[in-house]
Amino acid sequence: MAMMRYILQRLLYGLILMLGVVVLNFFLIHAAPGDAAEVIAGEMGGTTEEMMAQIRAHYGLDQSIMVQLWIYLKQIAMGDLGTSYHFNRPVTELILQRLGPTVMLALSAQLIAMLLGVVLGVLSSRRPQGILSGFVSVFSTVGYAAPVFWTGLMLVILFAVWIPLFPVEGYVSARFRGTGLAYALNVAWHLVLPATTLGILFLAQYARLSRTAMIEVLGADYIRTARAKGLGEGKVTFNHALRNAVLPILTIAGLQFGNLISGALLVETVFNWPGMGRLAFDSVLRRDYPTLLGVLFFASAFVVLANLLTDLSYRFADPRIRTGGR
Amino acid sequence: MSPLMSLSDLRVEFDTRHGRVTALSGISLDVMPGETLGIVGESGCGKSITALAMMGLIPNPPGHVTGGVIEFDGEDITRASNRRLRQLRGRDIAMIFQEPMTSLNPVFTVGDQIAEAILLHQDMSRAEADRQVIELLETVGIPEPEARAKSYPHQLSGGMRQRVMIAMAISCRPKLLIADEPTTALDVTVQAQIFDLMRDIQAKFGVAIVLITHDMGAIAEMTDRVAVMYAGRVIEQGTSDQILDTPLHPYTRGLIGCIPVLGRAAASTDRLPPLAEIPGVVPPLHLLGDGCAFAERCALADDHCRAVRPPLDDKGHPVACHHAGEIA
Repeated sequence: MAMMRYILQRLLYGLILMLGVVVLNFFLIHAAPGDAAEVIAGEMGGTTEEMMAQIRAHYGLDQSIMVQLWIYLKQIAMGDLGTSYHFNRPVTELILQRLGPTVMLALSAQLIAMLLGVVLGVLSSRRPQGILSGFVSVFSTVGYAAPVFWTGLMLVILFAVWIPLFPVEGYVSARFRGTGLAYALNVAWHLVLPATTLGILFLAQYARLSRTAMIEVLGADYIRTARAKGLGEGKVTFNHALRNAVLPILTIAGLQFGNLISGALLVETVFNWPGMGRLAFDSVLRRDYPTLLGVLFFASAFVVLANLLTDLSYRFADPRIRTGGR
Repeated sequence: MSPLMSLSDLRVEFDTRHGRVTALSGISLDVMPGETLGIVGESGCGKSITALAMMGLIPNPPGHVTGGVIEFDGEDITRASNRRLRQLRGRDIAMIFQEPMTSLNPVFTVGDQIAEAILLHQDMSRAEADRQVIELLETVGIPEPEARAKSYPHQLSGGMRQRVMIAMAISCRPKLLIADEPTTALDVTVQAQIFDLMRDIQAKFGVAIVLITHDMGAIAEMTDRVAVMYAGRVIEQGTSDQILDTPLHPYTRGLIGCIPVLGRAAASTDRLPPLAEIPGVVPPLHLLGDGCAFAERCALADDHCRAVRPPLDDKGHPVACHHAGEIA
């Protein structure tokens, strides 16, 4: 099975990449100023020199940095990301609690961005000089240029303050006791503004990209062939043209995943969304290194995985790659 | 017998950054059922625009049919609705293109692309269409048609792809097949095979063919009648024998002179160069004046030629030249 071999090979590369990321992150964090033991001691409300030494010994902070790295790598190999200085609980547990909301936010933002972006791009490609095309260009430039926290605040002012349709922040209503579908709907209602905020940033790129890709594809010889067959414009656009224009869009979708995660960090902070980004933000302020490293570990694993999935979907979408042709 | 396809005084204009230019200025052509009409000329003379006009596929914008009539089977298709045009395209009028390498959609199998045309115009189940695809691939001489139907275009050679294009074009038994330089991008040996195939198909299905080419050799081999085009006009028209044996227009003579003759360079008594050429290029459409468009490149041209455009007159056969038949 060539396909299985390919996937295994890519997974192996991914693991090597992850190892590099972990080592790099570890040194970056340790290069940052500040003493973790002091922070922990501060959280405990002050302590003696003796206690400080004890804390250092407990967390292995008295060892040399290479020894600390070795211990950390051994831990990770066994699936243990260490213990949070702040919560005093396993980092893995903390992250898994927050994984769902982040994945939900990132994927729904990606979905909004891709669907709307591609639709806008396709529509404006039909008449590149038309009004809609101009609108899409302006909207996408503004959407891409605007900082994501600003977009978030504007949406809050618009849809939570002026027209109170959606909640300002949070994951689920404070006193909400519903279960099942009612719970899911309540969460979805809270998801609308954060996902839209994050989505707008990427929507702009998808709209521009699919507009360009479609204009190029619509000029191709095989589109003329499709028209010569007697196909209507709808089928020509969506079956023959979009099917080809989707290839560069897929590439970008994969590459965007890293940006999506870092965008989620800001959006989660603005909307008080209980995800990994929020956890990372808080961990930075608390100098909770194990937690921060854990979040970075998961985020990079996401990106590696997303790139693998992109490659696989690319092979699925383009027979020239699948069958190894030109 | 009435013509299958008839263009009368067809004008097509394009909006360009030089303003509106006339790509076809008053083309009149008839295609009889079952015959092969050759349209010959250099790049930019309006051959391909004529073909697209016959399909109702002039890109709009920037193109406009601004005058004349295109009749197919007695129906004026310049007035036909888009829906009616889509019915005719692929079913009654089919087309094969210059670039087999890029004329097939890279993401669908060739079988799917042929079946799409069949299912669009014929009331047929998918299984029946698939069977017909295999039959068609066999007809156009593709070995192992069952396996090839599942191939993607990039897995086939240029000649095979052009055969697939032909299979797609004849899938609904069209009355008219327009071939726009079908062999330009192919090897010489493959060219001959494709022409053989087109002749076989014509004999088998009785389809009329419009062969667009700049290759006088292809004209000699394939066509019954020929129209020579220059700068958006037909400048000479006749049977293939008339055009090849007694060309009247200096441009047509030039085109025929461009056919390389084996051993010509070696013959010392011959004053002709080994490869003949027509000096200059086709003038840009927006710079055409009132005179003969060929005058700038013509050895026979005089002030009269540069001032007054010659009409298409019958001088043995129709030709548009003040000096028709004269020798420089």
